[in-house]
Amino acid sequence: MSAPSLTLADPAIGSFTPELFAAHLASVSHLPAWWLDRKREAWARFLALPLPKRTDESWRFATLTGLKLDGYTLPPAVTPAGLGHAPIGIAKAGKLVFANNRLVAQEPISAELTKQGVIFETLQHALLKHGDLVKAHLLAQPPKQGSEKFSALHTALLADGAFVYLPKGVEIALPLAVFHYAAGAGAAVFPHTLVIAEPGTKATVVDFFRSAGDGAHFACGRNDLYASHGAALTYVAAQNWSRATLSFQSNSTVARRDARVLALNLHLGGRQSRHESHSQLQAPGAHSEMLALTVAHGTQEFDQRTLQIHQAPHTSSNLLYKNALLGSAKTIFSGLIVVDPDAQKTDAYQSNRNLMLSDDAEANSLPGLEIQANDVRCTHGATSSRIDAEQEFYLQARGIPKADADELLTFGFFEEVLSKLDHAPLHDALIGLIKIKFNPPV
Amino acid sequence: MSDVTETESAPIADTVDNPVSGIDQTAGNFSYKVDYEFDAGTGLSEKTVRYISTVKKEAPWILEFRLNALKQFLAKPMPTHWATKDLENINFDKIRYYLSSGQKPKRTWEEVPDDIKKTFERLGVPEHERKFLAGVEAQFDSEAAYSNIKDIVSKQGVIFVNSTEGLREHPELFRKFFGKVIPTGDNKFSALNSAVFSGGSFIYVPKGVKVAQPLQAYFRINAENFGQFERTLIIADEGAEVTYMEGCTAPKFSTSTLHSAVVELVALKGAKIQYITVQNWANNVFNLVTKRGVAHEEAEIKWIDCNIGSRLTMKYPGVVLKGRKARGEVISIALANDGQHQDTGAKMIHAADETTSNIVAKSISVGQGRSTYRGVVHIPKHLKGCKNNTECDALLINSNSRTDTYPAITVRGERNSVQHEASVSKVSEEQIFYMQQRGLTEGQAMSLSVNGFINDLARQFPMEYSVELKRLIDLEMEGSVG
Amino acid sequence: MSQLEIKDLHVSIGEKQIVKGLSLTVRSGEVHAIMGPNGTGKSTLAKAVAGHPSYTITSGDVLLDGKSVLPMQPDERARAGLFLAFQYPSEIPGVSIANFLRAAVQARLGEGEELDATGYYKRLYSKMDLLQIDRKFTSRAINDGFSGGEKKRCEILQMAMLEPKFALMDETDSGLDIDALRIVADGVNALRSTNLGVLMITHYQRLLGYIVPDHVHVMWDGRIVKSGDKSLALELEAKGYDWVKNELIPA
Repeated sequence: MSAPSLTLADPAIGSFTPELFAAHLASVSHLPAWWLDRKREAWARFLALPLPKRTDESWRFATLTGLKLDGYTLPPAVTPAGLGHAPIGIAKAGKLVFANNRLVAQEPISAELTKQGVIFETLQHALLKHGDLVKAHLLAQPPKQGSEKFSALHTALLADGAFVYLPKGVEIALPLAVFHYAAGAGAAVFPHTLVIAEPGTKATVVDFFRSAGDGAHFACGRNDLYASHGAALTYVAAQNWSRATLSFQSNSTVARRDARVLALNLHLGGRQSRHESHSQLQAPGAHSEMLALTVAHGTQEFDQRTLQIHQAPHTSSNLLYKNALLGSAKTIFSGLIVVDPDAQKTDAYQSNRNLMLSDDAEANSLPGLEIQANDVRCTHGATSSRIDAEQEFYLQARGIPKADADELLTFGFFEEVLSKLDHAPLHDALIGLIKIKFNPPV
Repeated sequence: MSDVTETESAPIADTVDNPVSGIDQTAGNFSYKVDYEFDAGTGLSEKTVRYISTVKKEAPWILEFRLNALKQFLAKPMPTHWATKDLENINFDKIRYYLSSGQKPKRTWEEVPDDIKKTFERLGVPEHERKFLAGVEAQFDSEAAYSNIKDIVSKQGVIFVNSTEGLREHPELFRKFFGKVIPTGDNKFSALNSAVFSGGSFIYVPKGVKVAQPLQAYFRINAENFGQFERTLIIADEGAEVTYMEGCTAPKFSTSTLHSAVVELVALKGAKIQYITVQNWANNVFNLVTKRGVAHEEAEIKWIDCNIGSRLTMKYPGVVLKGRKARGEVISIALANDGQHQDTGAKMIHAADETTSNIVAKSISVGQGRSTYRGVVHIPKHLKGCKNNTECDALLINSNSRTDTYPAITVRGERNSVQHEASVSKVSEEQIFYMQQRGLTEGQAMSLSVNGFINDLARQFPMEYSVELKRLIDLEMEGSVG
Repeated sequence: MSQLEIKDLHVSIGEKQIVKGLSLTVRSGEVHAIMGPNGTGKSTLAKAVAGHPSYTITSGDVLLDGKSVLPMQPDERARAGLFLAFQYPSEIPGVSIANFLRAAVQARLGEGEELDATGYYKRLYSKMDLLQIDRKFTSRAINDGFSGGEKKRCEILQMAMLEPKFALMDETDSGLDIDALRIVADGVNALRSTNLGVLMITHYQRLLGYIVPDHVHVMWDGRIVKSGDKSLALELEAKGYDWVKNELIPA
């Protein structure tokens, strides 16, 4: 990294200078021209868009002073050995490990899956080999929830990521795992996972976001999930960046006729983490299950914005976002169910539950509805409260000490979300990550 | 700033035609001919504000208050970053900011002009209620036109006057609380009201006094392009109890009208204030109202709010729970028909331990009507034992009806709890079929069903209001089916 | 031989005095029944003895083998041998019965002592068979979505597993149909031994037909107004609570 500059950087671009972009563009010049054009357009948008303002409804309650873009750099390559890669202990159908925006390790899928036409490889390869497929789905859904600027930055600086293609009718029992690492001081990473599930497919894709070391990283990721007719897609993201990381993540889900998408986001890391999740139910029978679990500790801030858009009749969505708050952490949940005028027979649910485990923590809930069709069932709920005193007493009355009772109840609180995963090893792996957060190894 | 005297300012009204001349009076449901004695003309400027203050023979500090408010109003942007863009359709230059049928509030039924009595008749105020008008403070345009309950309650030491009189006769009491619950700059429309307010009530209930009968007021808009900016301040001293009711009906005119009131409530230790509103403005009225109360220790403030008319209503009654064990409640019913947007809700600001708040909001959207719930629940610092419960239910009648819900809830600490639940549904087809099978028309069945939806809330209104509510809903539901 | 001694106990909720000087001693092997109409303070007594934080003991004492339990946390009282079978057991979603019971049994082991999993499950299954509880039950969350009968059987299962010295059974018969009642009563009878003292709280005589008490106490307005043997329950059943009101309460 260059010596600190004496000139005042523009806070709206921070470290992400035209020089940095030019260098990045040069590094990906071998990729298709349409993609490079898109990156240039995105770069122009990033420059033109202001940072979020106090009056932006989509940033209500967020700590805007935390959104500083300086002090970051496009990090150099690292070796897998330097990552301290910890196995997650589950059997996988395939694995890709990215560090500092580059592929550093992989376990390819079986020859049999390859024969069936399954693709599980890097985005760069896919851009070169399956350009049309990528073009149709990569970053195809414009962001709508306030992070337009950061989404533009992601497109501009996205170097590599995971590409998953499931041809018609293919079912994969074991999860496909993708690791995204940031390593080194000031590392800026732009993780991406694109999943295209053709009709009648079934698969589980897991993103693990991790930091090597406890440096201040900048993570600006997106993913695209496209579930075609009758596809059943499970997507899990386990975010565990370093406690000094500023993170933006934006998920887009498109569900076509009779498709079922379950997305579960586990939020553990980061100093300030913004997560946007956008589900579009585009055809009858489409269903989106939107789940999240957050353990907010210390001074962490987790800002989650969700959008459930019902664009067709007979669609359903079910959102359950649970936050456990410790220390002086802060969470924001802002959700919106939108039912378009023609989307009769929509069944949409949205629920945010905050478990207050500290007297200094702050939970904000903005559960919203915009309903333009009458033959619908839409409900939402939000609660914030401590551990239920009657439940605590019940457990204590059986001889369980208070601290143990509280832990049982806290994990019981998480279980309502985790139990929706019908993959026991993955379920247990996520619990393992949460346990580490509660009782960090010394 | 020089004092403004009455003689100094030539009534601007002289240059303005009678606002209702040339208007077909038969077109409006409830309109009748009025000769306005005082009129501030249309448009808003410092001159308008000075004129109002002059005519009302106000103390200099009030003029200053108004002028400062005008500045704030002009400086503030329209809140369209969160609210509807329809606000941009208000033409402030075409609004008439002040007129009065006379400066002296009427005190007895005999003194009430015949024209006003005629209006009450047109409004369908029933005979028994007209007798009860002894207990009615009715606002005729900008000034209170009728006030008699005063005599009854004044025996208990209660002050019940219009705000002009309150400012004039009880300046110390008024000034102590005025603009304290809702600061001028709270929002653009509270600033507007602070600049041009006239009319509204001033009530003071002394320590320990429980006012048995509800104090009532009718407000109406009665001239084209005429805004109404009443200002109400109610103070219930320690242990006092009072219920206030306001009902609004308006004649139908073709161009937009603006109603922008400010209502401030102060419930001192152990006091109880209940404020009941039934609003049924004409379909061209922008009804942008700021209502808030402060509840001190063990005090209770309850807003019961029903919004049926208007083009756009924006109203979020609030309670600042300032003292330990204070309680706040908002009960809200909104009905939005074609061309209407009811943007209503509640604000509960918890600022002391063991404060509790409760919000129940039910809305009905008919035809292309749009109802919006907006709420704020705030439990900030290190409070303990605070509770909020919020329930909003929306009923959508037609396939193109619309509803939105935008609550914002902030809770800090592990010793408080909040619960928010909302649902959206339509009238049950099974229910309608069942009633039709028993011989009711679809419209009747729909009416019954809708009344059932709000029944638990409607019961909280005083009898005559809930009866009227039922009748209004029946009317609104006519033509919603088929 | 253990002894649970309630001495001149006064309990209030907030400002309101509910239990107004109640004394009672239960010894191992004995089954006592406290009968009384609703609102007389029976459940308050049970919860206060178990240490519920909403109940304040204003005076009096509760001694377990001569030692006051009042300074103890609810879990300490439980581990000391008190078991409360709740009238309305809490529903706890997300926490399975298996995990919960294991935590409860583990809590009774000494520092560093590990639960013998095989023995534990063997014992659990035998108790479940006794109470006619399906084994799939253990993977369900505690009381979550249980029927009234399932909840009460689950309470007795816990009692069987935790082997208390004294069981306070709060309206265990409420909400049970006749079959469920018989299963629960059989379960309790199977646990009756010289090592267990039982204090049954009930509104009706019905339960006492299945679990025959050694002593019966009538509670009224926060106090015991009459004690006797099992025939008192029958007398009460025949004469009704009006009899208590009219004849047993000193004017």
